[in-house]
Amino acid sequence: MDFPDNLFPTFFLPGPPGLSDSPASYLAPAWSDYMQLLKPPQTQDPSINPQHEASYVTKWGRWKSDTPGPLPFLLPGADPWDPELMSQDLLFRGRVKQPARAKATIDVIEQLNHFLWDHGDIAFGPLGMLLQENFNLGEKKKSRKNKMVMNTEWLLRDLNGYQPKGCPWAHLSTRQRRFSLLGGTVLGEEVENLLGGLLHEELETRWKRLLLDEASTGGALGWVPGAKPHHGQLVYPTGRAHDQLNFQKVKLSPTNEPQALGDPSHILLRGPVRQVVTRTIQGEGETHKAACFPLLGFPDVASGAPCPHPSHESIACFRLTLILSSALVAVRSDHHCALWKLEHRGPPEPLQVLEMEKEATGISLSPHLPGELAVCTRSGAVCLWSPQHGLQQIHKDPETFVFKDPSSWRWADFTAHPRVLTVADRTGLRFADARAPSDCGELLFRVGAEASCQRGERVLLAQYLGTPDPLPLSPTLHLVCTQFSLYLLDERLPLVPLLKWNHGLLSPPLLAQLLPPPYPEAPLPLLLGGLGGHLRMLHLSGSGRTPQLAAPPQSLPSLIDSLPGFPVLEPHGQQLLQERLRAPLTGLAAVVPPGCPSPTMLLFQLSAAGDVFYQRLWLQPDTSSESAGSPSTDHAEDLGLNSHSQTSATSSLGTVSEPSAVSWKPRAVACCRRWLKTLLQVPPTLPSWTPPTFSQHHLRWLKEENKGKVQEGLRAAMAEGRLLLQGDLAPLPPSDPPPAHEPFGTEDKLSERLEASWERKGAIWWDGQRDGSRLPRKRQSREKRRTQLSSSFSSVRSTSDFSDVNSPLPHPPKTPSPLHRMSETSQSLELSQELWVKNIPRERRQTLRDYLAVLPSPDSGNCSIPQFQNPSSQSLSTSEPGKCSVPCSQNPRTQTLFSPLPESYSAFYSQNPNSQSLYSQNPNSQSLYSPEPAFNSVFHSQNSSIQKLPSRHTPSLAGSQPLRKKPRMGF
Amino acid sequence: MDAFSEELMGFVQKDNQVEASKDPVPEIHLPWLSQHIQSTGSHGQKGTNFAQTTSICLNFIQEALLKHQWQRASEFLQCYLQTLEDINSQKRQMAPEISLQHALYLLHNGMVEDAYRNLNQAESWRYGEMSASQEKLIKLIQAYRGLLDYYTWSKKRTEVSSFDMDGFATNAATQDMHSYFRQASVNLHEIIKIPGVWDTFVKSYVEMLEFYGDQDGARQVLTDYAYDNNFPSNPNAHIYLYKFLKKEKAPEDKLISVLKILHQIVPSHKIMLEFHMLLKKSNKEEHHKLGLEVLLAILDFSGCTENITAWSYLAKYLKQIIKGKHREWVQEGWSSRKDWWPTFHFSYYLAKKNWKENRILALKKAFTSGILLGKGCKYFMYVSKQGHKIREKSIKTMKKFVMKHNILDSEEH
Repeated sequence: MDFPDNLFPTFFLPGPPGLSDSPASYLAPAWSDYMQLLKPPQTQDPSINPQHEASYVTKWGRWKSDTPGPLPFLLPGADPWDPELMSQDLLFRGRVKQPARAKATIDVIEQLNHFLWDHGDIAFGPLGMLLQENFNLGEKKKSRKNKMVMNTEWLLRDLNGYQPKGCPWAHLSTRQRRFSLLGGTVLGEEVENLLGGLLHEELETRWKRLLLDEASTGGALGWVPGAKPHHGQLVYPTGRAHDQLNFQKVKLSPTNEPQALGDPSHILLRGPVRQVVTRTIQGEGETHKAACFPLLGFPDVASGAPCPHPSHESIACFRLTLILSSALVAVRSDHHCALWKLEHRGPPEPLQVLEMEKEATGISLSPHLPGELAVCTRSGAVCLWSPQHGLQQIHKDPETFVFKDPSSWRWADFTAHPRVLTVADRTGLRFADARAPSDCGELLFRVGAEASCQRGERVLLAQYLGTPDPLPLSPTLHLVCTQFSLYLLDERLPLVPLLKWNHGLLSPPLLAQLLPPPYPEAPLPLLLGGLGGHLRMLHLSGSGRTPQLAAPPQSLPSLIDSLPGFPVLEPHGQQLLQERLRAPLTGLAAVVPPGCPSPTMLLFQLSAAGDVFYQRLWLQPDTSSESAGSPSTDHAEDLGLNSHSQTSATSSLGTVSEPSAVSWKPRAVACCRRWLKTLLQVPPTLPSWTPPTFSQHHLRWLKEENKGKVQEGLRAAMAEGRLLLQGDLAPLPPSDPPPAHEPFGTEDKLSERLEASWERKGAIWWDGQRDGSRLPRKRQSREKRRTQLSSSFSSVRSTSDFSDVNSPLPHPPKTPSPLHRMSETSQSLELSQELWVKNIPRERRQTLRDYLAVLPSPDSGNCSIPQFQNPSSQSLSTSEPGKCSVPCSQNPRTQTLFSPLPESYSAFYSQNPNSQSLYSQNPNSQSLYSPEPAFNSVFHSQNSSIQKLPSRHTPSLAGSQPLRKKPRMGF
Repeated sequence: MDAFSEELMGFVQKDNQVEASKDPVPEIHLPWLSQHIQSTGSHGQKGTNFAQTTSICLNFIQEALLKHQWQRASEFLQCYLQTLEDINSQKRQMAPEISLQHALYLLHNGMVEDAYRNLNQAESWRYGEMSASQEKLIKLIQAYRGLLDYYTWSKKRTEVSSFDMDGFATNAATQDMHSYFRQASVNLHEIIKIPGVWDTFVKSYVEMLEFYGDQDGARQVLTDYAYDNNFPSNPNAHIYLYKFLKKEKAPEDKLISVLKILHQIVPSHKIMLEFHMLLKKSNKEEHHKLGLEVLLAILDFSGCTENITAWSYLAKYLKQIIKGKHREWVQEGWSSRKDWWPTFHFSYYLAKKNWKENRILALKKAFTSGILLGKGCKYFMYVSKQGHKIREKSIKTMKKFVMKHNILDSEEH
C-alpha cells in the first residue's frame, strides 16, 4: 500500500488534553482545521499545480436536495411514542445564581417529593415494618404487659382529615405534634438517607443518559443491497421497546422516489435493538457451513437449562449451496447479540445468538472475512466472534487506556489487517491483535495534546473506514469522533491525526458512514450524524496522499427542517408532530443507487420514534458561484436541542431569504400529509409514567367472594328496579384507567347524584358515595395535585350541595373500617405477607389476620401481580426479566423468533428444512467450545425451550406491554 | 425547601471541587450541556446576556457556512466581529497564527514572495508576554520561512548549474545561494529538534546538507528523525534514511537493519517488496527465512490482496524454499494464517473474480494456494480447470509441482 511520502508538518507533543503549553492545541480550532484543505507545499517547486479550495465545487458540483427537508418514507407505526425524559423534567428550575458557571442541578427535592407522594408504600413501607413492633394499629389491647407498644388509633384518626402538604398553618393535634417532634428526626433521616441516596443515583444515571445516550452508538438502520441493482432492504427496529426488527424491501428509482415494497417482515426480539450492522458477502464462503448451526432464541438465563450443541451429523447433512451474494445482519441488544443471514429470497435466517452478562456496547462485522464479528461489552472484554469458530477473547481490561475515566463504554472495529482489531474507550483507541491476545497493542489515538484535544474531550465514536471494495482512499483510515471534533487517523502513523475538523454538532456524533465516490476519482462523501438529528457531509479525497477535505463541509437538513412541509395543526397536534420530528436520530443509511444518469444519494434516517424518513440528494453542477445552499426556512430550528428561548430572541435574524431556495412541492407536501394523517390516528400516548396503584383494593377485587358481592349488588339493584350505583358494587371499578383519562370524574359524580336525588334516592347515593370515597388516599391526593384548581371548585360545589339533601348528614364512622385503615397504614404488609408470622408479636397477629383475611390467599398471590391493566405495572415485570413473555403477533408474517411458545418455534422452523434435522440431536451433548464467562454462546433447541415453558408462560397482561423502559424509579 | 436546595447545590459544587483537585483529568465536557441548562434555567426570562448573544451569532455563522450560504455568513460575521472588538486580548495573540494561515494560503497559490513577507511580519509580531506555545508557533513560522529560503536556494542552484556565466557572476550567485542556505538551515535545524512530523523540512534540510557535502550531518539528521523516541513513529522517516543510505551505497546489512525496523512498524509498506529482494540476495539463512515472512505479511493486509508483484514473488519464493528443503519455514508461516487465509484469499468467489479480471494473478495465487492447501483447494481447482479449458501451458507444470510438493501432503508423510 502506498504511504503518503510527504506528511503535513505538525508538532507532536505528548501530554494531557487541553495542555495550554502545546501550540498544536492553540492552533487547533482556527488553523489546522482549515489548513488541511490545502495541499502541503511541494518540495521542489511550490508554484506548480496550485490547488484551490473551490476546485471541488467547480469540478464535481454540489450535493443538493430536491426537497427542503427529509420526507416520510414509511407510515408511522401503530404504537404511540412519547419523548424520553427531557432536561426540563429533571433540572432544578430555580434561578441560576452564576450563569457563567451554570451547572446542571438535578432537582432532587422535587423528584423526592413526587416519589414520596406517588410511592408512599415503597417509601414508607420498610419504615412501617421497622416500627410495627411498637405501634398498635387500633385493635383492643390484649396484653397490658408490653408498654413498648403504642396505640396509634387516635393518631390515625387525626390524620384522617385532609392535610395540605407542607402547610405550616395546618391544624395539628397535640398528639400529632408530639409524634412528629419525637419521631420526626428518625423518620426524616430514614427516608432522606436511604431513599435520597438511591434516588440521587437513579437521577444521575438518567441525567447522564439524557446528555449522552451511548446505547445507540453506531446506529440501528441498516441497508442491504438486493440482487437487482435497484432493490434492497432496510433493516431497522420499531415498536415502543424497539424490539421488533423489520426487514423492509425497497425499490429505488433513478428518477422517482424510493418505494417500499409491501409490508415489512419482522422478527420480535426479547430486547431493544440498539445497533444494526449489515455487510454483503460475495460468493460462497465458509459462512454457509455456519448457517447450519442451530443457534436460535435468546436464551433464558433464569432457567439455566443445558445448552445443547449441534452434532457433527447435522453439519454434514448441510448442503453447500452456491449463492453468489447474500448479506449478514448483526444486531446488538443490551445483553444479546445476534447474527442473521439475509438472502434475496426467503426469510432472514438466524445464524447465532450470543448472550452477555454485561451490557454489550458495540458490534461490528468484518469487512474482510464474511461472518466474523467483533463484540465488546461493559466488562472491558473484546471478542472476535464467528459462527463457525465461536468466541475468541482478544482483549480484556476494565480500566481505560490513557487516563482514568468512569465510563465503561467500549467499542471494537477492524483494521486493514483481518487479525488486528481496534478497541476504543472514552480515552483512546488501541490495537488488539487476535494472534497475540495477551499483548497490549499500541495506541492508535489518544485523547491528549498530540491530537490537540480540549479539556474534557472524549471519544464518542470510532469507525474503520475500509471496505471490502477497494476505494480510492487508503484502506488504513480510521475515523474518530469526539464531542468537538472529527479526526482521521492512518493506522500506519499512530497518534498523529491526518485530519482534524471541528464538527460543531450540538449533539453527540454517534453515526458515521463513508460512501463510495459518485464518480470515479471524485471525493468520497462522509456522513456524520448527531443524536439530535444534526447531519454533516464531508468530502474526502486523497488516494496515496494524506486524506483531505476536498470541499467545504456541508450541513444537511434534519427531520425537524421538514416541519414547514406539514400543514399547520391545532396546538396539541402541532406539538405532537414537533416532538415526533425532534425525536433523536438513531440510524442513518445512505445509498448510492447504481446506474443513475446523475449521481444520486438516498439518505434514510431513522428516529427513536421508529420513523423512517428519506431525502434525495443530487450532485448538481455548480452554476453560480454564490449559489445558495440548503433552503431551510427556519434556521433557528437547527441550533439546538431545546433552544426555544434563544431562537425566539434571535429568529428575526434567521429570516434572510435565499434566492434559489428549494420550495415544498405539492407532491412532497402530499406525502407529508399522508404520513401525518396516519400519525394523528395513532392513539395518544399514555402519560410517560404513572405511579403503580398497587393496593389492597385491586387484590380484593380478585377474590371470589367479592365477585359474588358484585353479582349480589347487581341482582339487588335489578330487583329494586333502580339504577346500579357504584355503592352496589365493590369499592373500586374493576379496571382502573390511568388518572389522566378521567378528568371529569367529579362532574360525573355530580350528574349521578342529581339523578339519584331526582329519584329521591339521594341518601342511598350518599351512602354509596361514602364507600366509594374510600379510595386510597394517595390517589386522591394525586388527583388533587394534578387538578388542584378544578378539584377545589368541585369541593366548594359539593359542600353547597349538602343543603339539597333531605336526609340528615351521615355521621362519620366511629371507627374506621379495616379497609380504610389498611390503605392508610399497613401498606407495607402487602409486601411481606410471608414474613408476618415470624416477625410479629403474638398479640398483634390477630389484627394482621383480620387484615389479611381480606387479601387474596397466598397461592393466588403469585399470579395476581401482573393482572393489572395499569401500564405502570411494567415495573413488576422488569424486575423479573426471565419471566416476562413476549406477545405473539397475530400477523402471519411475524416470526416470533424469540418467543418461548413452541408453536412459533415450529412455525418458524417449518420454513427452514435445513434446520429440521437439528431437533433430533441429543440435548445433553457437550459444549463444542467452552465460552468465556462474560459471553455465553448459547444454542437453543426445541427440547430445552419446552422444558422451560412452565416457568415462563404466565398468563400475564402486564407482559403484553412490551418492555419499553424501566419505570422512572427503578428500585 | 429553598434553603435546603441551595445547601445541596453548594454541597454538589464542593464535591466537584474536591474531585477536581484529586484528579487532574477533567470530567467529560459536553458542549450541549449548556443548551439543556438554558432551556430550563431561562424559563420565562427572555433576556439573553452578551456571551449568549455572541455564541448564538457564532452558531449562525457556522450554520450558514455549513449550508454554503456565504453571503449570509459574511453578514453574521460582520455583526460578530463588531461585538468582539476590543474585548478579548487573547484573540490578538492569535494574530501570528492567522498570519501563518494566510501565508500558507499564499504559498499554496504560488505567491511565494507575498507569503515570505507575511511570515516575516508574523515573526516580528509581539503582543504582551510570549507564552511557551507562542514560542513554538514562532519556531514553526520561522521554519516555513526557512522552507521558502530553501525554495529560493534550489531555484538559484538550478540557475547556477544551467546558465553558462562568467566566473564573477557565478561566484556572486553562489554566495547569494549560500546565504539562503544559511538562513534556511538555521531555521530548519531549529524546528526538526522539536518532536513532530517534519517531512518537508527534513527533506529540504538534508538536500542542502548533501549539496554542501555534509554527509555525516545529513545522516545524523535522518537517523535522529527516524529513531528518536520522542518523535511519532513516522514510516517516512525510515524511508528517508533508507533511501539516503542506499544512495550512499551503504552495506546491505545496514539497509536490511533499517528496513527490518520499518517492517515491524508498517509491514504493508510497498518498500517491503524491495526488502524482500534484499533479504533474498543476502547470504544469511535467517534473512532468507525473514524474506518469506515479509511477503506473507504484505499479503495479510486488505489493501494488498491483489498485489500481483507480491503474489508472483511469493510463488517464486515458495518454489525456491521448497527446492531448498526449507519446507518448515512455509509451515511455520502458514500456521498462523491457515484459519483465515483460505477465506480471505482463496475462496471460490475470488477464484472466479481473479480469473476474470487478472489471469496472471489468478495463476500465481492458484500455485500458492496449491502449495499451502493442497490440490483439493477450491481456488486451485477452479483455476486449473479454467486453465485446462484454454490450454494454458503453465498449468501442467504447476499442477505437477503442487501434487509433489504441497505442504499438506508432506505433513501427512
